[in-house]
Amino acid sequence: METTRTYRPAVPTARDSFGRLLLAEWTKLRSVRRWVLGLLAAAVLTIVISLLAAAGSGTDANQEPDFVVGPDGQPVVDDFHFVHQPLSGDGSVTARVRTQENSQQWAGAGVMLKESTVSGSPYAAIMVTPRHGVRLRSNFTTDLPGSADTVPRWLRLTRSGTSVTGYESADGVAWRKVGTVDLHGLPQSVEIGLFVSSPPEITIERQAGSTSVGGRPTSGTATFDHVQVEAARPQQPATWANEDVGRSPARGEATEAGGTFTVTGSGEIAPNPPPDDVVQISLFGAFVGLMAIVAVGVLFITSEYKRGMIRTTFAASPRRGRVLAAKAIVIGVATFAVGMVASVTAFLLAQPILRDNGFAPPAFPRPSLSEGPVLRAVVGTAAFLAVIAVFSLGAGALLRRSAGAISAVIALLLLPAIIATVLPLSAARWLMRVTPAGGFAIQRAKEPTEALVEPWTMIGPWTGFGVLCAYAAVTLALAFWLLRRRDA
Amino acid sequence: MRRALRAEWTKLRTVSSTAWLLLAAVTFTVAVSTLATASVDTSQCPTPTTCFEDTTKLSLTGVWLGQIAVVVLAVLAMTNEYDTGMIHTTLAANPQRGMVFVTKATVVTATVLAAATVGVLGSLLAARTILPGNGFTPANGYPPLSLADEPTLRAAVGTVLYLGLVALLSLGVGTAIRDTAGAITTVLTLLFVFPVIAAFVTDPQWHERLQKLAPMTAGLAIQATKGLDQLPIRPWAGLGVLAAYAGTAMLVGAALFKLRDA
Repeated sequence: METTRTYRPAVPTARDSFGRLLLAEWTKLRSVRRWVLGLLAAAVLTIVISLLAAAGSGTDANQEPDFVVGPDGQPVVDDFHFVHQPLSGDGSVTARVRTQENSQQWAGAGVMLKESTVSGSPYAAIMVTPRHGVRLRSNFTTDLPGSADTVPRWLRLTRSGTSVTGYESADGVAWRKVGTVDLHGLPQSVEIGLFVSSPPEITIERQAGSTSVGGRPTSGTATFDHVQVEAARPQQPATWANEDVGRSPARGEATEAGGTFTVTGSGEIAPNPPPDDVVQISLFGAFVGLMAIVAVGVLFITSEYKRGMIRTTFAASPRRGRVLAAKAIVIGVATFAVGMVASVTAFLLAQPILRDNGFAPPAFPRPSLSEGPVLRAVVGTAAFLAVIAVFSLGAGALLRRSAGAISAVIALLLLPAIIATVLPLSAARWLMRVTPAGGFAIQRAKEPTEALVEPWTMIGPWTGFGVLCAYAAVTLALAFWLLRRRDA
Repeated sequence: MRRALRAEWTKLRTVSSTAWLLLAAVTFTVAVSTLATASVDTSQCPTPTTCFEDTTKLSLTGVWLGQIAVVVLAVLAMTNEYDTGMIHTTLAANPQRGMVFVTKATVVTATVLAAATVGVLGSLLAARTILPGNGFTPANGYPPLSLADEPTLRAAVGTVLYLGLVALLSLGVGTAIRDTAGAITTVLTLLFVFPVIAAFVTDPQWHERLQKLAPMTAGLAIQATKGLDQLPIRPWAGLGVLAAYAGTAMLVGAALFKLRDA
């Protein structure tokens, strides 16, 4: 009986350490002038094209605003029908919403406390909605969910100093607190009463080969009874007034009969930022810079096959998987470093240009690197390029030919974004979810919304980036498996 | 000349990548065209008769992917010779470099035109069967796609020519750069980056300028059969822009091919 023994090369184990392997791959990367130039070209292209994109972009959002300015200086829309009376000092308003028309799933009917009837002024409101239960909202940004119940529902707002507390009840006896909001700097005298809002229904239509998103105004009616306003300090008995606040798309009205108020309102109370994303525009050059990254990432392995260097590499380090891992780390880290310099530089240089071109407050608040989404976009762009480099390396290891690998990676990254612009939204959204092109979404600092048709706004930043990472991981895993099975 | 043509044809035909790339060019074109056509139906429009859908253009969407195979094929036809050292044999056998370059261009373009014709006809045929099912019926103002219709014929022939010009552009860049990776990256950047930039630039004047100057968007204007007055560039003028790019690349490639050591 013969015992088999594993062959071990007579190389000292220290040489086979992973640190050495990383150093070897780093030496290869930095000593090939074309690759270093390729990485530098990626950085320069990213910065230059970003600046060109910034210079070629403009907006008249501040000259012809379709928004009003909210309490924090942010662009908002504030349109609804308000039945109100003045309240001085602390007090409360109570009402039962008896019926509500399902004019839009986010239509609101409830009680509101607002600094004045000026559109955009601070407010707190508690409302019922046809599809999303009871909500306590204030100053366009706070949204606290209450119960999931619909009409009939009792609602109450109580003011104490600058804090306003919202309550709901099924019967007007047992009250449940929904939450408390603080309206900083609320004056002594405010308007208090009933309101009805009904946001526009979003319509998506395709015509002449392109998709457009529009809003069809809706108008909803609700009835209220058991309406009661109480003031902590006695005040003169007030009479109800009613009006459309803001620029309601359809005229509202209110009537009162025997203590029952019938209110019809139209419009939306919400943040209303213009669609352009100034952070993404300032990082736009990454679209071009990535072409050089793809080439370097692929060549980092295919040129070893072409020149026969791969046999030396594997002779020096027979554990092939570790070689691939070392290559992935080196190209990933190097690209991340280059990408970081490029994206920070592009962001900082492009912002002043964009401000000069009209992307200025209040429509476009100044983005700062200390804000989470901005930082995510800037660092994410570098990470995006790094993952693309690793993806390209995997594709190169898989196909072992630069021509096939480069064209396959570029086709997967850029083509879906181009094709998506001519497809209907559902197909475009699907395309963004199944191809790594959705990774561009990491460059956005604004949330994806229904009302945008650019392909990369159809997917969340992390989802898009996740798809790209999945592509890179699967490609690398396949390459790892084949590398061990195939002859070099 | 005939011998030179025959030599180039033998070289192209006997490389296994050629057959695969031609197959890829045809299948990618037909497959993406079919998927794009199938994803659009009249229910997405305000009313079936107000779609204004350019069904001919839609049914040729696949060219966007198919052209990548054409780029790779045409670049490799030249750069492979440099990679393998074959170029020395080629030039030893036929020292007339101008003739080598012209015959290579002729053979590559003819092959690409043949594949493009198959791809374009396949796409149109697929669309012809899909479109009526998606509401693009004669009743809604969409007669069946037919090459007897002058704009559709122009779009079909133009798309074939577009792919031929893309091949010439790639061959020119490949000859000038002599490196597979560099040449493919350059051509694909030239083709794809402009449309992405154009999608981003909000300034309308810049937007139009980019669409007029980009080889891909200008060249593909040849596919438009509806709303011609709203195009940034006229169909044949657009193809002319691409031809100018291809011509420049070929001239630079030819000059460098004659002047440089192989």
